[in-house]
Amino acid sequence: METDGALIERSVRGRPDAFVEVVQRHEVAVHGFLARRAGHQAADDLLGEVWARAFAARCGYDLGHADARPWLYGIARNVLRAHWRTRRDADPAAADEAVDPWDDVVDRLDSAARARELGAALRALPAAERDVLLLVAWEQLTPAEAAVVLGIPQGTARSRLHRARSALRPVLARGPGSAEGKK
Amino acid sequence: MTEDWADQESAGLLRALGQVEPPGPGVLEAAREALWSAVAGEMLSAGPAGGRSEAGRAGAAGADPSREDIRRRRAEPGS
Repeated sequence: METDGALIERSVRGRPDAFVEVVQRHEVAVHGFLARRAGHQAADDLLGEVWARAFAARCGYDLGHADARPWLYGIARNVLRAHWRTRRDADPAAADEAVDPWDDVVDRLDSAARARELGAALRALPAAERDVLLLVAWEQLTPAEAAVVLGIPQGTARSRLHRARSALRPVLARGPGSAEGKK
Repeated sequence: MTEDWADQESAGLLRALGQVEPPGPGVLEAAREALWSAVAGEMLSAGPAGGRSEAGRAGAAGADPSREDIRRRRAEPGS
């Protein structure tokens, strides 16, 4: 099977339709990336924008990367940020909600007290650390791949991940049911 | 319970926070429409490398083979 990098290279060299196969490989994952951060409706609305931007930017793809997923997540992240900026500009009163969708995420949690506690702990993390942690935990990326998404050095991604894990460890290390009654 | 980050239950709980339903029917296809518009636009003009695409070159042979080529490739992208 051709790598994503090979398909993208082909798409640049006179076969633009080869890019569609890259999209088909990762469309469910990228939709999930968007939905986890902005909800299903926004994910549905923004997915096409991700593909259009990725197609336009493919000449700049580093062909040394066989897997395009981190690069696509980086584009999806930029689309999300633009989406939140637009919402904030349209309704300044909703600025906090537009920039930080964590109320939605916490609302999606089931009734388990520990899960809610973990959601609150995640929300309390600095955004830069939370971004790395969730790329690893939710998108199953390596720290090096998360660095590609965020456009930061690998060492920075690793140190942010370490800090995020250290901050969450007290919550994660508690036994099941330890948070019962804390709601 | 261990404090090891890799603890299965803890890692599972964190992953569970990120669980979302798969996209509904037609969502992926609708999103691909935006891509196909860009692909078709490029196939009908010069490609990003500056030269004519294969579809463009094929255009010399028929009335409107580029559009036919696009239809064929939509059925089999990248083939």
